[in-house]
Amino acid sequence: MVSLAELRSNLHQVGRVWVFQIRIFLISDFFILTAVVQPVIFATIAFLLFQVGGESAGEQTLLFAALGTGMMGVWSTTLFGGGGAIAWQRWESTLELLVAAPRRYDLTLLGQTLATTTFGFYSMVATLAWGVLLFGMPLNANYPLMLPLSLLAAVIGLGIMGMLLATTFVLYRHANALSNLLEYPVWIATGMLVPLALLPGWLGPISWVLLPTWAVEAIRGAAIGTEPPWLPIGMCIVLALIYYVIARRVLVYVIDKARRDATLNLA
Amino acid sequence: MSAIPVSTVPSQPGSLRANWRIFWNGGRISYAALFNWARPSIYIPTLLGAPTFQILYFAALGSYDTGMDPEFFAIGNAVQVCSMAGIYGMTMAVANERWFGTLPALMASPANRAALFGGRFIPFIVNGFLVSAYGFVLCWIFLDVRFDAATLGVMVLAMIVTAFSCSAIGAVMGGVSLRLRDGLFGANLLVFLFLLFCGVNIPLSALPDWMQAVSQVLPFTHGLAAVRLAIDGATLAQVGGLIATEFFIGVAYAVAAFFLFTWLERSSYRNATLDAR
Repeated sequence: MVSLAELRSNLHQVGRVWVFQIRIFLISDFFILTAVVQPVIFATIAFLLFQVGGESAGEQTLLFAALGTGMMGVWSTTLFGGGGAIAWQRWESTLELLVAAPRRYDLTLLGQTLATTTFGFYSMVATLAWGVLLFGMPLNANYPLMLPLSLLAAVIGLGIMGMLLATTFVLYRHANALSNLLEYPVWIATGMLVPLALLPGWLGPISWVLLPTWAVEAIRGAAIGTEPPWLPIGMCIVLALIYYVIARRVLVYVIDKARRDATLNLA
Repeated sequence: MSAIPVSTVPSQPGSLRANWRIFWNGGRISYAALFNWARPSIYIPTLLGAPTFQILYFAALGSYDTGMDPEFFAIGNAVQVCSMAGIYGMTMAVANERWFGTLPALMASPANRAALFGGRFIPFIVNGFLVSAYGFVLCWIFLDVRFDAATLGVMVLAMIVTAFSCSAIGAVMGGVSLRLRDGLFGANLLVFLFLLFCGVNIPLSALPDWMQAVSQVLPFTHGLAAVRLAIDGATLAQVGGLIATEFFIGVAYAVAAFFLFTWLERSSYRNATLDAR
C-alpha cells in the first residue's frame, strides 16, 4: 500500500517532469507546428469544405469541426511526443541516467507524456480561436460544467495513452516512422471529423478501444451534445487504467530486456 | 550492406564526363546517404502507409463535408503525396550535409556546383512519382477512380513534372534549412499548406482571392489541374499549357534554390558559419 508521503512524492515527481517537459515543448519548432499551426490548417480545410458543401455549415457544424480538428492536433502531439518519448531520451543520452536514478522511471515517463498531451491541447484553443475570429463561430457549451471534467479526462487518458505508445514504439527501431503511419488512421477510426456512423461497420469495435474516440465524444458531448457525456468520460477513465497497466508491464519488460542485452542506449 | 556501384574510370576534373559523374553518381550516393527514410523500416510506414491513410481520410472527409464525389479528393491527395518524397527528401538531401558533418568536405571540393546540386533531384523525382503512382493504384482499387487509357501518358507526364516542381521547392527548403535549428520545420509547413492552397482538397474557385493568387505560384496547382483533366480525357494539346506552367514554376524554384545554396556557401566562408549549429 502506498503511503500518503509516498503518494505526495510521486505526484511531485510527475509534476516537476511535467513542467520541465512543457518548457522543452515551448521552444520546439516541431511541436509548435504540430500543436498550433497544423490544426489551424486542418480546421481551415474543414471550414472551407463545409462552406463548399453549402447548407450544412451551421453554427453547430463549425463547432463540431473546430473541436474535431483540435482533437486531431491533440492526437498528433500525443502520437509524436509520446511515441518518441523514450527514443528521444536515447538520442539525448539521458535515458540511462533516468533509468538508473532512484526515482521510478514510469512516473518520469508519465510526467513527460502528460505534458505532451497538455501541450497538445493548445490545438483545441487554436482551432476554437480560429473558428471564432475568421468564421464567426459562436462559443457556447450545452453542458458548461461538464466541459472541464471532459477536458481533464481527455488529458489524463491521452497522457497515459502516450505512455503506452512510448513503451511499445520503442520496441521498433524507428519509432518516428510508426508515428508518421498512425496519424491519419486514428483520425479516421475515432470519428474526429467524419462521424463513425458513415464509415464501414468493422471500424466500430476498433474505435471503442481507442481512447481518443471517447475523449472527443466527451468534449463534444459537453459542448454540443444533447445529454451529459458521462459514458465517454467513464470510458476515458476505464481505458486509461487499462492502458496504464499494459504500459507499466511493457515498460518493465523493455527496461529489463535492455539491461540484460546492454542495449539501453543503443538507438 | 552492399555498396553503391560507381564508375572508377578516371576523368579530367571539370570535364563533361566528370560533371556527369558528379551529377549521376553524386545524386545516387546522396540519396542513399542523406535521405533518412531510404530503408524499408521507415520507407514503408512513412512513404507508403501514411499516404494510403491520407488518401482514404480526405476522400471520406471531403465527400462527407461537401457531398462531392470522393474521386476529387482521392486524385488531389494521390498527387499531393509525392511531396512527402520531394520536399522532405530534398530538404534532407541538402540539410543533412550539415547535420552529418559532410558539408565542409563538400564545399571544399572543386566539384561543379550545378552538377552537384542538380544530381540530387533525380532520385527524388523518381521517388515522388512512384509514391504518387502507388496512390493512384489505391484510388483505382478502393475508390473506384478510373483512368482514360488514351491519356494515361499525359497524366504520367503531369505527375513527373509535378514531382520535379515539388522537389525544386524542397531544394529551396533544403537551402534555408542550412541556417535553421530545425531543418524540417519549413518542409512540414509546406506539405500542410499544399493541402490547403493548391486545389488538393478544396476547389480553387472556393478559395478566397488572395489564396487563389498564392496558389498560382506554388507547385502542384497547375500539375494537379493537368492530372485531373487528363484523367477526364484531356489530351496533351489541351493541358500542355498547365504542364508547361508547372514545369517553369519548378525551374524557377530550382534556380532560386541553386542561387540560395551558392549565396549561403559564400556567406558561410565570409562569416565562418559553414558548420555552425
